[in-house]
Amino acid sequence: MSGYTLTYFPVRGRAEAIRLLLADQGVAFKDEEAQIPLWFAGKDDRKKHAVFGQLPQFKNGDYTLYQSNSILRYLGRKHGLNGSNDEELGHIDMVNDGVEDLRQKYVRLIFTEYDTGKDKYLEALPQQLEFFERILSKNHNGSKFIVGQKISYADYNLLDLLHCHLDLSPKSLSAFPLLSAYVERLNSRPKLNEYLKSEARNRRPITPKHK
Amino acid sequence: MSGYTLTYYPVRGRAEAIRLLLADQDIPWEEDEVQWQDWCSGNHDERKKAVFGRLPQFQNGDFVLCQSNSILRYLAHKHGLTGDNDEESAHIDMVNDSVEDLRKKYGRFIYFTCQEKGKGKYLEALPQQLEFFERVLSKNHNGSKFVVGQKISYADYNLVDLLQCHLDLSPECLSAFPLLRAYLERLVSQPTLSDYLNSDARKRRPITLKHKMAESEK
Repeated sequence: MSGYTLTYFPVRGRAEAIRLLLADQGVAFKDEEAQIPLWFAGKDDRKKHAVFGQLPQFKNGDYTLYQSNSILRYLGRKHGLNGSNDEELGHIDMVNDGVEDLRQKYVRLIFTEYDTGKDKYLEALPQQLEFFERILSKNHNGSKFIVGQKISYADYNLLDLLHCHLDLSPKSLSAFPLLSAYVERLNSRPKLNEYLKSEARNRRPITPKHK
Repeated sequence: MSGYTLTYYPVRGRAEAIRLLLADQDIPWEEDEVQWQDWCSGNHDERKKAVFGRLPQFQNGDFVLCQSNSILRYLAHKHGLTGDNDEESAHIDMVNDSVEDLRKKYGRFIYFTCQEKGKGKYLEALPQQLEFFERVLSKNHNGSKFVVGQKISYADYNLVDLLQCHLDLSPECLSAFPLLRAYLERLVSQPTLSDYLNSDARKRRPITLKHKMAESEK
């Protein structure tokens, strides 16, 4: 056991990229659940201690960390998923910030604008995906990872975001051959594939709004 | 010269935290100003390099980087502003992510909300957001130093900038937060930072493009 604990609601949401990273890296961890109604009613004690009142929460022994992207970057540092030098790390960071921007749009759609905003969102989506397709194309013609020669923490976050969008619109990657191949390639990594087929993964909806 | 170039509109916006960092660390840089209309027209040269189509953009020789927070973190790595170890570094990251969360809310309010109708609601929710930062400060040497650890970090520059944006919006917004007030006063009095804050370059830049438009309509 790694001594790692991840606490989140029983959904994929903002914890899934972290779970993909840990699963793919073969790092066992304790997956703890918080119940949504209790949390938002202020009845979960852990909320008082949460630095910004939010989950996911990550623990490494006595050390506690919040903010999903900071957790990803911390694990990136601990497990060699931060590129080979400052410049490569800067680019990995940049891509991850781009993933976060699109994730925020996605979350806004799912939680506040789904009925009225879905068409408009899907219309604007190709332009967003094009950015990532272009980044991929400039890195070994899209045949490896989003940045550099090795997998980085940004790959797990991007992969999760693409999974969310394929759920929203199964054809959303059809105009993006590099992204499509990238998703397939990463999904087939042995440990990641095992996780993606697991009961733990499959019983969790993407968000509380998903059934 | 550092060889650093920062490309942005002639406003504070998402470049200012980067400018505060460079100024305070006494690192010179070249400011490459782009007019909003030129950027929107799609003709500007830098637009081709802009990985997500947006500014700010940072260049170090041949190395080009976008995304304001990534630029901050890159400079932090280069200039020893990421804490003393992995754990401290991640706490700095965590605070910066929360600064970003509030900055996004601020940006949405400034650009997309009707100012008269939305301002009350925004200011009502603000204390809860500021309380998080007050609490973080209180747990670090009783708020007498920086937001995390014993040395200044990149998150401090981002937080200082965000607090200044909010004081512009509501000069009383820190009145219930003594640690944040003292923190801000302390940081802006640091000599190199104070020089920059009193400079022409800083003073002639409005906070956002919205502020700029409002000024030119007067």
